[in-house]
Amino acid sequence: MITQKLTISNAQGFHMRPASVFSAAMGKYPCKVTINFNGNSYNAKSTLNLIAACMKCGSEIELVCDGENENGAMAEAVQLIESGFGE
Amino acid sequence: MLKGAGVSDGIGIGRVLVIEEHSLEYTPKTVTDKKAETERFNDAVKVFCENTEKQANSLRISASEKEAEIMLGHISIVKDPYLTGEVEKLINDGQCAESAFENICDMFISIFSSTDDEMTKQRAADVRDVKTGILKILLGIYDADISEAPKGTVLAAKELTPSMAAGINKENIVGIITETGGTTSHSAILARVLEIPAVMSIANLSEYIQNGDTVIVDGSSGEVLESPDNAQLERYTQKQEQLLKERRELENFRGKVTVSADGERYELVCNIGKPEDAAKALEFDGEGVGLFRTEFLFMNKSSLPSEDEQFKEYKKAALMLKGKPLIIRTLDIGGDKEIPYMGLKKEDNPFMGFRAIRYCLKNREIFKTQLRAILRASAFGNISIMFPLITCVEELREGKALIEEIKAELRAGGTEFDENIKVGIMVETASAAVIADILAKESDFFSIGTNDLTGYTMSCDRGNSDVSYLYSVLQPSVLRMIKRIIECARENNIPVGMCGEAAADPMMIPLLISFGLTEFSVSAPSVLKVRKCISGWTKQKADEAAKKVMSLDTRQSVYDYLKTVI
Repeated sequence: MITQKLTISNAQGFHMRPASVFSAAMGKYPCKVTINFNGNSYNAKSTLNLIAACMKCGSEIELVCDGENENGAMAEAVQLIESGFGE
Repeated sequence: MLKGAGVSDGIGIGRVLVIEEHSLEYTPKTVTDKKAETERFNDAVKVFCENTEKQANSLRISASEKEAEIMLGHISIVKDPYLTGEVEKLINDGQCAESAFENICDMFISIFSSTDDEMTKQRAADVRDVKTGILKILLGIYDADISEAPKGTVLAAKELTPSMAAGINKENIVGIITETGGTTSHSAILARVLEIPAVMSIANLSEYIQNGDTVIVDGSSGEVLESPDNAQLERYTQKQEQLLKERRELENFRGKVTVSADGERYELVCNIGKPEDAAKALEFDGEGVGLFRTEFLFMNKSSLPSEDEQFKEYKKAALMLKGKPLIIRTLDIGGDKEIPYMGLKKEDNPFMGFRAIRYCLKNREIFKTQLRAILRASAFGNISIMFPLITCVEELREGKALIEEIKAELRAGGTEFDENIKVGIMVETASAAVIADILAKESDFFSIGTNDLTGYTMSCDRGNSDVSYLYSVLQPSVLRMIKRIIECARENNIPVGMCGEAAADPMMIPLLISFGLTEFSVSAPSVLKVRKCISGWTKQKADEAAKKVMSLDTRQSVYDYLKTVI
């Protein structure tokens, strides 16, 4: 299991499009991907979970990847969040 | 008469077709063959995705790409692995597909609705749409086929859903009336992109109208007339023809060059605040962008946007415009906005204070980051740089020196950019107007910002109702400023544009033509109106009007005179 702390940097936060893009990207990996935010855990492969988490620009989150190819998942997740989902 | 919110302009007269709300009630069953039930659910999802894709394609044609994207978002909801996983769990516990799916959807609807984030709240509507769609399929309910509605139909419904909108044939549907939905609702946006007159938020609509009723829908005033008499029908038919005539006349100017009655060519471009608006500028037939405000990159953030982040946005706008001009204004921000991470503090007098180019020249790293991002993007389109709030020539020189510094760095690093990028200024302070002769020698172009120029020249805040009577671009002092700026630009052979509201004002257009303005930069929806207005003037007629105006001594007399010639 690996974890990393990150800050959401795109202006609108995890709204519909970033949430779809992110969950679809994470869905490709066999490992479990979880986001810990505000005392709750969210399934990062689920668009609906990500929207429900209400993560905004500036929100600090903890990303957890656990299982097969967890390093690959983490690398892509970090890249997506840091690039602001190409917005 | 019924009163609602007029959300899409125009008048529609036709016969009502009520879109019934289907009851989605069912008796929850306990299932024993869990495998078959799961399969039934998966089949419904498959049908839903196929239908939605078809609807998205038809919306892409009748409305816009964005509307299509919202529909495709519904597919990603219904395929959500968490959602499908939970539904399957409930089915395995013995619930039927209907109640399993409804339970999970309702959970998300209540989570989304209870947040205090507007964007998240709106997603509840999407989940509701998906829930309704899947339940209908599971229950074998088919929607009325709106695409078969006869000519002259006014649709009446609880709300205009994207799936309904996808079925609309623009030839046959003349109006839309609904019980829910405000001006900013998704239904309203759909009605506007389809260009169908619409009135929404009519309380208890279904109690007042029935299938086959003749109604008049006035999408401008928000009024719906049930069973109109002959006099009303005649009055509204006339009004409708007038509106259609005006719209058609404007449409005649689409795709044409902007040219005066005697053949003088002008540039007609748009003001935008986000890269996506560049597409809107083109949609409304703008010939490029005369002002791209960059503040959006810095607002609602907790830290400075990186060079790459900015580069991507500028590049995006440049690519959308496909070689058409794009004038990017550097950061115009000050103490009227509190941005903690930028060290901007509230000031007593922010518009006279530490802002725009003044701030940028003192915070060189921030400025250089932005300039470098713009220069890099200049390799992908026809980009110019514009400095805001210039008051003296040193500011222009310092800014240009920084650009040269960055160009040298980029060259050394082998990064591509436009070597001949133009650097111009906003002329929006009284000082810049007075020394326009000096500035014109070192600036590649001018753009007159009339909103600030009027405020600074009249020394009045238009937001203050005690002094706002002074605020008018028709004040003789402001007109003299504008005339001088344009003349100084022309003497030095540089282009001169205007990007304030005045550029779209029919009263100002003859004066600007006479003074010699070369570029009008307006909001996207004004493009065709301005093109039509310019086409109505010859230089000679405009000169006569301007000569008279410049001999008048008050705002009122200028206004009264111009009223008689436009």
